[in-house]
Amino acid sequence: MGLRILLSILFIISLTQLSYALSKDDCFSCHGQKGTPLFLDSALYEESSHGKFTCNRCHLDIIGYPHGKASKVNCGICHFLGTEGAPKEKAQEYKLSVHNRALRAGNTMAPDCQACHGSHYIFPSKDERSETKRQKIPSLCSKCHFNEYEVYKKGIHGKEFLDKKNTGAAACFDCHMEHKIPGVEEEGWKLSLIKECGNCHSAELDTYRRTFHGKVTKLGYITVAKCSDCHGSHNILPVSDRDSTLSGERILDTCMKCHPKATVGFTKYFAHAEEHNRAKYPLLYYTYLFMTLLLLGVFAFFFTHTALWAYRSLMERIRKRSE
Amino acid sequence: MTYIKRFNAFHRILHIIVAVSFIGLVASGMPLRYSYAPWAAWIMRLLGGYENAGIVHRVCAIVTFGYFIVHILYVLYHIVIVRKLRFKIFGPESLVPRLKDFVDIYKSFKWFLGKGPRPEFDRWTYWEKFDYLAVFWGVGMIGVSGLILWFPEFFGRFFPGWIFNITTIVHSDEALLAAGFIFTIHFFNTHLRPEKFPMDTVIFTGRLTLEELKNERPLEYKRLTEEKRLEEYIVPEPKGWVFGSGVIFGFSVIFIGLSLLVLIILGQFFY
Repeated sequence: MGLRILLSILFIISLTQLSYALSKDDCFSCHGQKGTPLFLDSALYEESSHGKFTCNRCHLDIIGYPHGKASKVNCGICHFLGTEGAPKEKAQEYKLSVHNRALRAGNTMAPDCQACHGSHYIFPSKDERSETKRQKIPSLCSKCHFNEYEVYKKGIHGKEFLDKKNTGAAACFDCHMEHKIPGVEEEGWKLSLIKECGNCHSAELDTYRRTFHGKVTKLGYITVAKCSDCHGSHNILPVSDRDSTLSGERILDTCMKCHPKATVGFTKYFAHAEEHNRAKYPLLYYTYLFMTLLLLGVFAFFFTHTALWAYRSLMERIRKRSE
Repeated sequence: MTYIKRFNAFHRILHIIVAVSFIGLVASGMPLRYSYAPWAAWIMRLLGGYENAGIVHRVCAIVTFGYFIVHILYVLYHIVIVRKLRFKIFGPESLVPRLKDFVDIYKSFKWFLGKGPRPEFDRWTYWEKFDYLAVFWGVGMIGVSGLILWFPEFFGRFFPGWIFNITTIVHSDEALLAAGFIFTIHFFNTHLRPEKFPMDTVIFTGRLTLEELKNERPLEYKRLTEEKRLEEYIVPEPKGWVFGSGVIFGFSVIFIGLSLLVLIILGQFFY
């Protein structure tokens, strides 16, 4: 009896020893052979972000040879928990995203980490070899979201990004927030998108904030027009473009989404008003100037009046008391 | 103590309605003007969100249009029907400015600087007339611009859309003028100045003492005495509950007004 227990213990120890003993070279002796199934470019892997780790670090179930089919690697073991300093913020954001929620709800089409980042050749996003390098984002997302991609391609951001190779233009993940990817109906996201647009279009954000729409959204309410309600989203085009939601032909329809009885005259509203800009908005400027002078005039007169009166009243009181 | 009647029940109730609706308008409107200030979202939540604040604002606006119209009808009724020819439009009982008001302003500044006696006032001082007439300007400017902003689709049929940009500026700045004026200058002139501190209850009780009349409105006192009409104005001491509730109401409004003033100053200068 005692012997059987001892042998069992020795066997278990030998298993663990074996797993720790399994080096990358052991794995590459098969998987490093060109032409083998599941071939791995060992040199490229060594250079990747995870290159210093043994295979078993991720493939927990592979502890020796021969082995069966490897089960799916769970990146969260390090990246969700932050094990040994692995960056965890992105994985935690992903956990709350529509992608992971769909995955957990049983949608096998929804992307896990590997769907975007790949498996073995993980590189920092600045690296040319990274699957998630900024330049590759639209085509990466288009693997699933081909309809959106088709519309994006024709919008100004898509044209700039894809045709003119201007990677400063907004790509999918700039608005959809990378790992966070909130549901498109989420209020918090709709509000934060305004700031997102403002990251590049700061002057427009500033002038929007001067209008009723911008003030109400600033207070945290979403029922009034936000950037995308007027400008569109994937299909954003310059106002000068005939196909823009704000072109002469289409602006009325755009306003009527919220103001169903709007007329052509109604659309002459300046949704980005600058009352300080005399050259661009002279009427607003002179209204603003008149109001400012009126306020300054009235307050200057009456504050002087009040201050002097207060002084005189106190003097009178002191005088009466001393009498 | 002898009490003299200054305001009737209509005046007193109207002032309460003006005060309540004005506070409602400022509280529900200023968070929008200062939407970038941290307190703005806080007040909005307190009012039950932006839609609710909008309802509060519009209800108070209807009350404002209501008292404005009722007041004009009241004035016309008194000029045309009750007093007939006895009411002089530039007379001492009228709120219409006359030459004496401008002379009084000049004399007041001399008095402030210790270079002359205090001017003698009749029933209405020049600052009271300004308070009163400013409401016409304010309700006119804020009311019209507010209506346009309330029904943009309707007014968009007659005016180009940038009228809403203009009315936004006018509405917002006039509101700042009105709130800033009432919460500082009106509060000081009528309630907070050393002679009246902390509050003048005449608008709530409708009465002032004979001493106050003699000291502050000597011309009115002389006039009423000479015309032998002073007797007509003598009234009993105000009832305790009227005085008490007036004081409670007055202090509440002054407190809320000054609190809103602090928020406005923060919004205007510190964010």
